[in-house]
Amino acid sequence: MSSYSKNVIADLIDGRLPWLQTHQIMSAYKDEDRFFKVLEILQGRVPWSEKILLPIGEHLSIVQKGTDRIVKCDCGHEFADYRENWKLHALIHVRNDRASIEELYPGREACDPEWMEIREFICPGCGVLLEVEAAPPGYPIVFDFLPDLETFYRDWLDSPLPD
Amino acid sequence: MLQQPEQTERERQSLKARMAASEARMTETGHYDGVSDLQLREQDPLKYETLHTKLRSFCVSAREMARRISASPGVREVGEMVVALYTPEGDAVALSNGIMVHVHTTSRFIKWMIDNDYEGDPCIEEGDIFANNDAFISTVQCPDVMDVVPIYHGGELVGWVGAVCHELEVGGITPGGDVALAQERYTEGLFVCAEKVGRNDELRRDYLIRCERNLRMPIYWILDEKAKVAACIEIREQVKALIDDIGIDYYRRACKEFIEEGRRVQLARTRQLTVPGRYRAHTFYGHVTEGKPGLQKLGPENILYSMPMEMNIGVDGHVHVDFDGTQRWGYHSMNCTPSGMDGGMFVTLTQHMNFEGRVNDGAWLATSLNLPEGSWTNPDTIECATATSWALLLPAFGAFQRMLSRGFLARGFKEEIFVGQVNSPMIELGGESQYGTRFGAAHFECAAAGSGALGIKDGLDTAYVGWNPESDMGNVEIWEQSMPFLYLGRSITTDSGGAGRYRGGVGFTSTWLVHNTSQLTVVTSEHSARVFDNAGMCGGYPAPTVQIHYVMRGSDIAQRVADRQPIPHGLGTDRATTDLERLLDGDLEVVEGPYLSYPLRQGDVFAHSYNGGGGYGDVLERDPALVASDVENGYVTAEAARRSFGVELVEDGGRWRVDEAATQKRRDEQRQRRRSRAIPVSQWIEHERERVRAMDFVAEVRTMYRQSFEMSDQFAQEFRDFWQLGDDFEIAGDER
Repeated sequence: MSSYSKNVIADLIDGRLPWLQTHQIMSAYKDEDRFFKVLEILQGRVPWSEKILLPIGEHLSIVQKGTDRIVKCDCGHEFADYRENWKLHALIHVRNDRASIEELYPGREACDPEWMEIREFICPGCGVLLEVEAAPPGYPIVFDFLPDLETFYRDWLDSPLPD
Repeated sequence: MLQQPEQTERERQSLKARMAASEARMTETGHYDGVSDLQLREQDPLKYETLHTKLRSFCVSAREMARRISASPGVREVGEMVVALYTPEGDAVALSNGIMVHVHTTSRFIKWMIDNDYEGDPCIEEGDIFANNDAFISTVQCPDVMDVVPIYHGGELVGWVGAVCHELEVGGITPGGDVALAQERYTEGLFVCAEKVGRNDELRRDYLIRCERNLRMPIYWILDEKAKVAACIEIREQVKALIDDIGIDYYRRACKEFIEEGRRVQLARTRQLTVPGRYRAHTFYGHVTEGKPGLQKLGPENILYSMPMEMNIGVDGHVHVDFDGTQRWGYHSMNCTPSGMDGGMFVTLTQHMNFEGRVNDGAWLATSLNLPEGSWTNPDTIECATATSWALLLPAFGAFQRMLSRGFLARGFKEEIFVGQVNSPMIELGGESQYGTRFGAAHFECAAAGSGALGIKDGLDTAYVGWNPESDMGNVEIWEQSMPFLYLGRSITTDSGGAGRYRGGVGFTSTWLVHNTSQLTVVTSEHSARVFDNAGMCGGYPAPTVQIHYVMRGSDIAQRVADRQPIPHGLGTDRATTDLERLLDGDLEVVEGPYLSYPLRQGDVFAHSYNGGGGYGDVLERDPALVASDVENGYVTAEAARRSFGVELVEDGGRWRVDEAATQKRRDEQRQRRRSRAIPVSQWIEHERERVRAMDFVAEVRTMYRQSFEMSDQFAQEFRDFWQLGDDFEIAGDER
C-alpha cells in the first residue's frame, strides 16, 4: 500500500508537488493513512488549538470545542454547530444587477440578473471568499455538507469520537 | 468442482426466469446473483485476472477495429463509440474505453428485450442482430444507436455483446443528431425500437433501405451499423473460443464474480475516498425560444430549470442521489429518461470511483437514483423528446461531481477534487453540401470543452467533456471535408474559465466562413445564456456560459481577402464588440437560443463558442505568476487579471511581469472592498424575505418555483422554512 511523508502530502494538497510526482500519486493506490496525516498538517497551520475533526472547505473545518463541534475558519472565526449551515453565519455579497455582474463577467459573458444572481460567502474574520453560489433570486442558500461524523469515525476510521 | 447456484429446468430454458432469479438472489443476499464469495479469485487469482484482462482487451481492440469501418468523423476522429460484453441477463462484465455512458444503457436494452418476452417473439437466435435508439427502452437520446448480438455456446445463450455509436444524423425535424428543435418524440428522427435488424450475422436489406430513405446522411448510420456488428461478431467469436478453452462453467461463474467484485470495489472506494453523510448542490439551465420564428410552440417559450440534488452516502458506502424538487418534463428536447440518467451516473463513476479494477455493472449496483416521476429526469409519457438530454444531464452530473469532491476534500484527497463537467453546445448543420448534395451532420468538435478546476491545479483547457473521458475535438480538415465551411479560426476563448485559486479550464471558439453552399441550416443544442449552468467550488467562481451566436450575413470577407485586409479569426477579447463587427461589413445577427432564423449561405461568417469550467478556491489566493503565464498564453486577458484576480502586470517586450507591490496593494483593496460591501447573511435574508413572499421575480423564475412546489412537498416546506414564510405559503398562478 502507498504511504507518503507529511512533507509530500503537504506539497500535494498545496499544489506545489511537481506534476509528474502528483500524477504518480493520483494513479497509484490511495494511501490509507492520508486522512490523519492531512489533519496533522492542517492542525499545524492554524493559530488555535481546537482539534480538527474534519475539513469541509478550503479554509473551513469542523473542530472539537469543549463538548461542541463547530465550524471554524483557519483565521479563528467560529461559525456555528456543524449541524447548522455555516453560510447562515457568514457575510454575503450578492451580485444581482448588471453592473456588479459585469465586474467579473463583462459584456457577452454576463448572466441575466433577473434569472441568476452571484452570491459570495465571505468569512467575517479574515475576508476570505469561502463559497460562491450562482442561483436564481429567491433560491434558498444550499447547505453543502452535513457529515455523519460519528459513523465516519466509528465505522470507517475505527477510531470513535469521544462523547 | 465449482459450486453453482441450483437452477431449475425452467431457469435453464427461460432468460426471463433466469433474470428474475438472479435479481431475487441479489435482493435476498445483497450480493450480485447471490455470489457471496469470490471462489475463482481465491482459488487461482492469476487465472481469474488473466480472463478479465482478455475480455477487456477483446472490447478495446474490437472498438479500435470498428472505428476504421465507420465513415463518421464522430466515430473515427472523436471516438464516439463503446463496446461491452454482457451476461445472459444483460449485466456488463467488461467494456472498452470511449462513450462508457452507454455500457449501462445497453444493459437496460438487453433486459428490456428479455422482460418483453423477445425469446418468444421475435425470437432470439444465433446470428441475430438487435438494435435500439429509443431512450424509453434504453440509450440517452435518439442518436445513440446500439446494437447487440447474442453469444451462443453449445446451443445455450451464454452472453451478449453490445456496441453503441453516436450518430451524426438521425433524420429529425432539423438536421444532425441532437435534434434541438424537437418538441415531442415524433420529430426526433428515425427510431429503431428494440428491433431485430439482422439475421445470420447480416443486417436486413429492408432495414438498410429504411435507413437510406429516412436519413439525410445514411452513409454515417449504415457504416456505423456495420462497424458495430463487426465489433460484436469479433468479440463473440473470441469469447466462444475462450469458452472452448476454459470451459463454460468457469466462464459463467467468473463473469458473475467480476460483477460482484465490481460492486464491492465501488463500495470500498466510496468508503476509502469520501465521508458518510448528506451532500447538497444545485445547478440551473435556461431554455429560450421567445421571438423565434418557425415553430408552433407547444409549451412555454422560455423555461428555467432548477436541479437541486442531494447525495447520501451510507455507512456501507452506498451512494444515493436524489433529484427531488426538480421540474416537470416539457415540450422541448432536453428531457431525459431513467436510462439516460443511469448513463450519466455510470460514466461519471467511471471517472472518479470506478476507474480501475473491475469496471463493470457492479459499480451500478452500489449506487441508486431517485428520479421523481413526471420530472425531466423521469417523464411520465414516452411522447416527450429527449434529443438534447445532455443539456440538462451535463450540468446535473457536474453538480454530482462537486458533491463527490466535497467528500474527497473532507477525506484529505484534494488531488481528486474536480469542480465538474460543463455543457458543451453542439452545432448541428444541414442543407446543401459543398458537393452539391443534401447533407446533415452534427459537428462533434464540442467533445473538448474546458473542465472544472481541480483541487490542486487548473482545469483542463479545451480537453474534457463528461460523456467521453477520451475527449477529442477532431482535426479541422476532417470537419471541412464533411461540412460546407472553411475555418477562419479555432482558438482559445480568453477568460472562459471560472476564476479561482485554480481557474477552470477554458473553452474555445470556432469561426467559419460558409463556403460553396446556397443553404446551410444551423441549430445548436444549447438554449440560453441567461444562467450559468456550472458552478465553482470553495470560493471559485462559475465559468461564463457562452451561448450567444454571432453571424455576419453577406459579409465582405472576399473583398477583404482580395485587398489583403485583416479578417476575423475569432470573436476577440473585447467583450462589448466582437471581431466580426470590427473587421467585417455585413448584416450582423446576434442569436440567443437554439437556432438561427434562416439558413446561411456562401460568404456568411459564423462564430460559435464552447464552454469553460468553474474555478476552485479564493481567486485572491491565486499565484500571481500563474496569472501572468495565463495572460502570456492567451487564457486570460490582462483586464481580467487585474479585475478578477487582483494581479497587476507589466508588459515588457511581449512578456508579462507581475508587479508584486502593486498586486499586493490591489488585493488588499479588493479584500477590504469585499468585506465593506458584504452584509451578514441573516440581514440579507430579512431583506429578501418580502421579495420572496411577493414572488417579485420574472415569470420564468416564478414558474420554476411553482413547479418545484407542485413536484415536491419537501422542497416546498424547506423553501417556506428557509424564508420563514409560514406553513400556508403557496405560489399561485399559471405562468406561461
